Amino acid sequence: MEILNNLLIGFQVAMTWQHLLYAFIGVILGTLIGVLPGIGPVATIAMLLPITFNLSPVAALIMLAGIYYGAQYGGSTTAILVNIPGESSSVVTCLDGYQMARQGRAGPALAVAALGSFFAGCVATLIIAVAAPPLAEVALKFGPSEYFSLMVFGLVAATVLAHGSLIKAIAMVVLGLLLGIIGTDVNSGVLRFTFDIPELSDGIGFVIVAMGMFGTAEIIGNLELKDKREIFTSKVTHLYPSKEDLKRVWGPVLRGTALGSFLGILPGGGALLASFGAYTLEKKISRNPGKFGKGAIEGVAAPESANNAGAQTSFIPMLTLGIPSNAVMALMIGALMIQGIAPGPQVMNEKPQLFWGLIASMWIGNLMLVVLNLPLIGMWVKLLTVPYRYLYPSILVFMAIGVFSLSNNPFDVLIMAFFGVFGYICVKLECEPAPLILGFILGPLMEENLRRAMLLSRGDPFVFFQKPISLGFMVASAILLVLVALPAIRKKRDEAFVEEAK
Amino acid sequence: MLAAALLFPALAGAQAWPSRPLHLVAPYAPGGPVDLSARLLAPALQQALGQPVVVENKPGAGGNLGADFVAKSAPDGYTLVMGAIATHAINPTLYANFPYDPVRDFRHIALVVQVPNVLVVNNDVPARSVAGLISFIRKNPGKIDFASGSSGSTGHLAGELFKQVTATDMQHVPYKGSAPATADLLAGRVHLMFDNLASALPNIRAGKVRALAVTTLRRTAFLNDIPTLDESGLKGFDLTTWWGVMAPAKTPDAVVERLAAEIGRAIDAPELRERLRAMGSETPAVRTPAQFTAFVERERKIYGELVRRSGAKAD
Repeated sequence: MEILNNLLIGFQVAMTWQHLLYAFIGVILGTLIGVLPGIGPVATIAMLLPITFNLSPVAALIMLAGIYYGAQYGGSTTAILVNIPGESSSVVTCLDGYQMARQGRAGPALAVAALGSFFAGCVATLIIAVAAPPLAEVALKFGPSEYFSLMVFGLVAATVLAHGSLIKAIAMVVLGLLLGIIGTDVNSGVLRFTFDIPELSDGIGFVIVAMGMFGTAEIIGNLELKDKREIFTSKVTHLYPSKEDLKRVWGPVLRGTALGSFLGILPGGGALLASFGAYTLEKKISRNPGKFGKGAIEGVAAPESANNAGAQTSFIPMLTLGIPSNAVMALMIGALMIQGIAPGPQVMNEKPQLFWGLIASMWIGNLMLVVLNLPLIGMWVKLLTVPYRYLYPSILVFMAIGVFSLSNNPFDVLIMAFFGVFGYICVKLECEPAPLILGFILGPLMEENLRRAMLLSRGDPFVFFQKPISLGFMVASAILLVLVALPAIRKKRDEAFVEEAK
Repeated sequence: MLAAALLFPALAGAQAWPSRPLHLVAPYAPGGPVDLSARLLAPALQQALGQPVVVENKPGAGGNLGADFVAKSAPDGYTLVMGAIATHAINPTLYANFPYDPVRDFRHIALVVQVPNVLVVNNDVPARSVAGLISFIRKNPGKIDFASGSSGSTGHLAGELFKQVTATDMQHVPYKGSAPATADLLAGRVHLMFDNLASALPNIRAGKVRALAVTTLRRTAFLNDIPTLDESGLKGFDLTTWWGVMAPAKTPDAVVERLAAEIGRAIDAPELRERLRAMGSETPAVRTPAQFTAFVERERKIYGELVRRSGAKAD
């Protein structure tokens, strides 16, 4: 009954009109920056920080959290409509969401993304309310060897991400891994593949690569279709998902939520894996994996639920341990510290108003987002009927502004242009960008954790098989590899994935 | 009058200064402590100068990109940088082909923040004092790990200095930032860490880790009962993390003096003082531009030597 009491405290705090207002401002701003490609929550929250100093800590945190999950909602909008992933979590949404939009089903895709996110947000909020402290302990059980094994498992599983040839998918993953190690080596501080360009010494930003490979490349590709490009988006059938759609997505939403909630609590890049993981899982268990990448609604519902669940549960390590899972969380910790509150194990007991107020406001914020986003779908879909010759220059400009704003450096815009051209070449060669992006995200994390695990174990490779969690992932990866390698199953896989009829 | 203006063009320009918005470059990503304090200082400075002060993040190459950008900007008092211990004391030795001189290419205007590092150990480490820790390390040769936020960070260098002074052996385990390092410290995968006071404080207060000493010569008001390393037998051990406002080398004296006075007033004002204290910073002892330059020169020497001896590099 304590939990009900606590939630009651939370709702009393969150339901005051000021806090409702700040939650509303937050989600509106978040949706806006999510929709504008490249302008992410980090830059926005940084700019807004001075304003939050004059708010109460609860109001500040409620607003910043609203921006954060508002951006998750908004990010999927551009991913679906114009193939631009504004956030790392919406890369996977591009795969099927954009295809749906091309088939005139942008409305159902957006609606399913919003509803799936809302459901996931509600569940994740409940999880935080009920089990934050014990889950934080689980997060601490993940050390370098566990993270490494988890990522090995992720990479092995990711071979199903591609729907073209397996060889090409592996080549793209490896290329992604190589691109990911550009920059300063964490252990020795040595600069790798930087060619004496100081801008490369911190590596290439994920958003820059993703926007180039997906967004810019898509625009270049569309310029080819001289006649068709003006019309492919105008055959909008219906705005909201049909009964059949809803029947197909409830399973993926449930599984995505579960996977996202779990991975979100891992501070070392867990949330990043959530949407990739959910997509992979759906494709793996689908009776009809061939339709993934061609506008399968399950391929939108699962990753969108997973990333929103992960975004919410990633508050757990921050609120209970003071450990931020990502840059946005680090900013929120900064905002709280300036308010004189140090996030950590004591916040829950010393500031119950803050802790439970935030949790209650997350739920309210999610509700606001769904109410806000569903009516907007009609407007977004109309956007697609804007003639392409007007649409794409404006998208390009917004992308350039967004990328420039990441670190106020024009060099980043050039890098995006480079990856745009490269992405176009990949499209021509039928190499999928998604495995490259996954390798790019996982590569540096894997290397970092592998080498850290080696340092801590004094170079003993068996460390990955001695810890139960790590061993579990290793065994699972091995089983998966065998499944892929087994000739009989391999044949089945080929039927499903290779050179599908065009 | 005209002759005077021709003779002292810098002065004439300075009288009109500031006539347009100022840019304060934070050479790190948004949300870090350097960025936060720049954003705290900007509104106060804006009020005092009557011109907007815009904080601009120029992260990259350990802060070198942003600092280098300002070193090569027009010395007109409109482009400033929050120069830090990394950009102005550690990196010049850490990086090969370093693009600027941290002393000669800058006017050092005002030190804004000084934060001690604190030696924290996992609760399973039996030591209750620095002496106890030293004997614990000696009893477990080659088995003790210390974490840090990155190779060449103050936490890393403090650990290296500790090893030298106490003639002990520990392995350095670098992380990408203080947060993942803290996670492994809490879980007991590493034994100790020389962490920034502000990020270590919540877990110290919650009893999740144990603080053994602070790295400054004086005790900190935040942890009055925790001794300094100097008191604990490591005579003269004195490392702080710091950052402050700097401008390009040829910035006119009048502008530097004015900025120094206004920044000094701003950080002494109770409101900003409270906010900076919340980040673990005490009022800096360095109060004038001349003192600040001497301070940077001294720090540059100390850390240059430490980096060389630790063998850390980034080239």
